[in-house]
Amino acid sequence: TMGFIQRNLIGNKTITESDLRSVLDKLKKKLITKNVAPEAADFLTEQVSNDLLGSKTANWTSVEVTARASLTKALTQILTPGVSVDLLHEIQKKTGKKDNEGKAQPYVFSIVGVNGVGKSTNLSKLAFWLLQNNFKVLIVACDTFRSGAVEQLRVHVENLAQLMDESHIRGSKNKRGKTGNDFVELFESGYGGSDLVTKIAKQAIKYAHDQEFDIVLMDTAGRRHNDPTLMSPLKSFAEQAQPDKIIMVGEALVGTDSVQQAKNFNDAFGKVRNLDFFIISKCDTVGEMLGTMVNMVYATGIPILFVGVGQTYTDLRTLSVKWAVNTLMA
Amino acid sequence: GAVNNALSNTSDDYAVNVDTMLKAIVTALLESDVNIALVSRLRNNIKSKLMAQKPASGSTNAQTKKLIQKTVFDELCNLVDCDVKEPFNPKKKQCNVIMFVGLQGSGKTTSCTKLAVYYQKRGFKVGLVCADTFRAGAFDQLKQNAIKARIPFYGSYTETDPVQVADEGIKKFKKEKFEIIIVDTSGRHRQEEALFQEMIEISHVVKPNQTIMVLDASIGQAAEQQSKAFKDSSDFGAIILTKMDGHAKGGGAISAVAATHTPIIFIGTGEHVHDFEKFSPKSFVSKLLGIGDIESLMEQ
Ligand SMILES: Nc1nc2c(ncn2[C@@H]2O[C@H](COP(=O)(O)OP(=O)(O)OP(=O)(O)O)[C@@H](O)[C@H]2O)c(=O)[nH]1
Ligand SMILES: Nc1nc2c(ncn2[C@@H]2O[C@H](COP(=O)(O)OP(=O)(O)OP(=O)(O)O)[C@@H](O)[C@H]2O)c(=O)[nH]1
Ligand SMILES: [Mg+2]
Ligand SMILES: [Mg+2]
Repeated sequence: TMGFIQRNLIGNKTITESDLRSVLDKLKKKLITKNVAPEAADFLTEQVSNDLLGSKTANWTSVEVTARASLTKALTQILTPGVSVDLLHEIQKKTGKKDNEGKAQPYVFSIVGVNGVGKSTNLSKLAFWLLQNNFKVLIVACDTFRSGAVEQLRVHVENLAQLMDESHIRGSKNKRGKTGNDFVELFESGYGGSDLVTKIAKQAIKYAHDQEFDIVLMDTAGRRHNDPTLMSPLKSFAEQAQPDKIIMVGEALVGTDSVQQAKNFNDAFGKVRNLDFFIISKCDTVGEMLGTMVNMVYATGIPILFVGVGQTYTDLRTLSVKWAVNTLMA
Repeated sequence: GAVNNALSNTSDDYAVNVDTMLKAIVTALLESDVNIALVSRLRNNIKSKLMAQKPASGSTNAQTKKLIQKTVFDELCNLVDCDVKEPFNPKKKQCNVIMFVGLQGSGKTTSCTKLAVYYQKRGFKVGLVCADTFRAGAFDQLKQNAIKARIPFYGSYTETDPVQVADEGIKKFKKEKFEIIIVDTSGRHRQEEALFQEMIEISHVVKPNQTIMVLDASIGQAAEQQSKAFKDSSDFGAIILTKMDGHAKGGGAISAVAATHTPIIFIGTGEHVHDFEKFSPKSFVSKLLGIGDIESLMEQ
């Protein structure tokens, strides 16, 4: 008779569908406990199945161990960006090109996402990172809807100005009469409808060019991804502002809806424009449940630029794929 | 919806029908973010109930389906419709303090004003206190909301200690004989102990008659652990479920209710102050299961 050892551990066994069924089921459940959406979990276990069916287990290796290794591979693959981007280099390339006035076009980011995920906070962290790399940053208050959105950015600009120059006096105006200092400044025009948003965006980019800012960071209002009246202005906004990079902030706490959020935002800009990156925020609040990042990349193939791991300016990290995969497999 | 689709097959075998049905229910619940361990508990409960109440012989297939459907529906309704011994009922001519807690960005500040307007409409004298001194622009946000809704408010641009601001705000409104004082606090999460400690300290000076946890309907598997931790530290007595106008069906809320035995009292259905409704277990569960015609179920 074949005992447990023979069936499971001896290795050199051709893997069949029935060998895999319970193992994959177990792995799928594991992924779901880590907040991976069932749809994405199915996709991943399907990958494992394709990878292993008909192949042989290595010596002294069980089907389960083999499947775990295959899943690790599939997760690594999905989270590893297809093309490597050197964002800082790309920015330098653009801002190094001077026109006949001796000025360059600024490098423009816009930040989008659903309500309350951390757009404004992570925009400020991004600003801090760019300031650390010696770029001059203009922060633009294109959320003209939510109460306090403009004032929120004003506080961040004051904080960042102070971090760049200790002698900065909070509430003071810089030489152009604006909130901020030589390093970072706020471009704002109060509250209003979506016409105002586009107007501010265009004015800000021109202003950044004239005043020789390297970077324009545009915050936008949170919006529900399933509401066309909120989503459709994004397309015209992007057409008018022509951002170099559109970054969607996705929140690690979000469950299966993250799949649809990512899809709908990626589709919001029309056929010729996609999202460029994700920032996955609030990764510090979910423990090992890192599934959201898998869900969003699974849904769109858009890479993760940074992960947010807290509420301060330094809580922005490049994603360690190895860490994420190990955490998901733990 | 999951229920109807699963039942469109026409097997006469009750047990087979139950299994098919439960499989579809499990899928639907997992897709709506109900905690995976809770899903399997629910599945077993429902199964044993269904097996115990085998339909009378000679009942039609349609009747059997209805029975299964109703059992599932009732089980989920019972779960979210948890009874509270003494539900909070603010009294006029008395000071009732309500404190809001919750994860970052869940919708606390927005819901504070919504609740304030709800009570104001019912004739209460309501004031708002901003005890969030952490989040950039928090006071401006609450202030602008409050001004729009014509609710008196208290907060500070200079004081950095939320305990201090909460204390001052409560004292001011109490002196002026306000009947309901709603205290907004900053977002926090269980992984950062100092933030929970702060919440406990605020609650010591505020002495709330009711603490409300605000939960985002799109929350996933983290719902259980986070809400449990909030329950342990703040002993909240009710939940407001926000962003129900979105695509998410709010299964995370089921995990939160099951883990804390605390009822959902209101849902947020939009960013505007009037996008606020009383929670109804039946319409919540039918949205979750994707059943359109709850009436036909209720007929039985
Ligand atoms: N723990 C933690 N909290 C975060 C992180 N990123 C943002 N937050 C918090 O999440 C809350 C919401 O952040 P905001 O930046 O205002 O979110 P938003 O997407 O701009 O919100 P709206 O503009 O209202 O849609 C704030 O309390 C932030 O401090 C993070 O990485 N970790
Ligand atoms: N669509 C929709 N958006 C909502 C709802 N409730 C709140 N929001 C939005 O969600 C975002 C976050 O809401 P806030 O009230 O600032 O959340 P908060 O919990 O106070 O956030 P922190 O103080 O940073 O922890 C804002 O953009 C709100 O407009 C709702 O029911 N539906
Ligand atoms: Mg914002
Ligand atoms: Mg708030």
